[in-house]
Amino acid sequence: MTPFALQLRRDLRLGWAGRGDMLVVLGFFLIIVTLFPLALGPDPAQLRIIAVPVIWVAAMLASLAGFTRIFAEDVRCGWVDQVALSPMSLPVYALAKALGHWLLSALPILAVTPLMALLLNLGSGQLAAMMLALALGTAALTLLGVIGAALSEGARGGGGLMAILVLPPAMPVLIFGALASTPEAGRLITPHLMLLGAVLAVLLAIAPFIAAAALAESESESGG
Amino acid sequence: MSATLPSNTRELATAPAGLRLCDVVLARGGRRLQPELSLTMSAGEVVLLRGPNGSGKSTLLRTIAGRLPSTASSITCDVPVLYIGHADGLSPALSGRRNLGDWARLNGLADDDDAIDAALDRMQARGFGELPVRNLSHGQRRRVALARLTLGQAHALWLLDEPNAGLDAASSIALDDLISGHLQGGGMVLAATHLPLGVTHKPRTLTLEVPS
Repeated sequence: MTPFALQLRRDLRLGWAGRGDMLVVLGFFLIIVTLFPLALGPDPAQLRIIAVPVIWVAAMLASLAGFTRIFAEDVRCGWVDQVALSPMSLPVYALAKALGHWLLSALPILAVTPLMALLLNLGSGQLAAMMLALALGTAALTLLGVIGAALSEGARGGGGLMAILVLPPAMPVLIFGALASTPEAGRLITPHLMLLGAVLAVLLAIAPFIAAAALAESESESGG
Repeated sequence: MSATLPSNTRELATAPAGLRLCDVVLARGGRRLQPELSLTMSAGEVVLLRGPNGSGKSTLLRTIAGRLPSTASSITCDVPVLYIGHADGLSPALSGRRNLGDWARLNGLADDDDAIDAALDRMQARGFGELPVRNLSHGQRRRVALARLTLGQAHALWLLDEPNAGLDAASSIALDDLISGHLQGGGMVLAATHLPLGVTHKPRTLTLEVPS
């Protein structure tokens, strides 16, 4: 078993043990989306217009709520110290954490998105395009979250930093993602989706190394 | 072979296998804690770090483990390092057995059930090895963390931060036995502790002063 697979399996186990945290992110997403029809009234035409932006912003905000947890426990209990001394390199560790977090937080959001699309009267022809864009977009967002989480561990209790760190660089993800979710009729792969993919590819290449640099000298509990 | 050689091979040629600290500067939050420290350790040696709170014992151990920056200094260590700090390195939601198994596998060590059982037995921790670590007392967690020592390589350098704090009498003796056995087998131990260690080898002492 490779160190990457080992860390991923460990994170999935930890995610299952703490599945309440997972449900908080999912619940947050469901609540934000359902608030809009309540505030706007039940006019189907209006709901259809806001469907894509609302789902995207809700997915971003709900994901943001989970990012502070990515490294918090591992740093506090000293697992990062043990990883740093092991043959597993920190970028590999950070990448495994990113994939684990995406599977535990973003995948449930994707799973309920069709239901939310129905609630907001999104055309069924658009759903496939939006799901595809959301899958890429949440992956890119998770990688930004891994950077933000690692940096705020170094800053000690900098959880409030997260929104300021992660949301500005996430704007291209939102812009391309929303555009890719509203393609011209009959097209699934649009230039916007490709740009979103490009953002994801860049983050995949750099995020693990930035996070690793931030974690290289992170402090465990009462490390003094 | 060449991949395992430290970059500073010139220095290695004159030094015996082990740990070598040369003019290490300890600093926390930009404040210097100690004058330059130098220390050489070789196989079978035990060094006790003494000094009042805040004198930099944990900082020194974390610096050697590579978890804090060392400025203007050279640290060479040509054996594997096994570090047990204040934080145990055990995820609270997983069992002690699972934590040890993951750690052993991560480091390419024996991780089968027998090896983990034997390790837990050495610290008399088998009885609560299946429980989530969050349900254990401080001393029990410490014992699970210290069970790691049995799984590591024989010639490793152990960096132990207050290893026997919070242990009951029987576990303290078990730890002393572990350390004695490790020294016998050619390992090295650098431990920061306020409590005496009852090891068979005569320890050297490195005393750190509080900065004036």
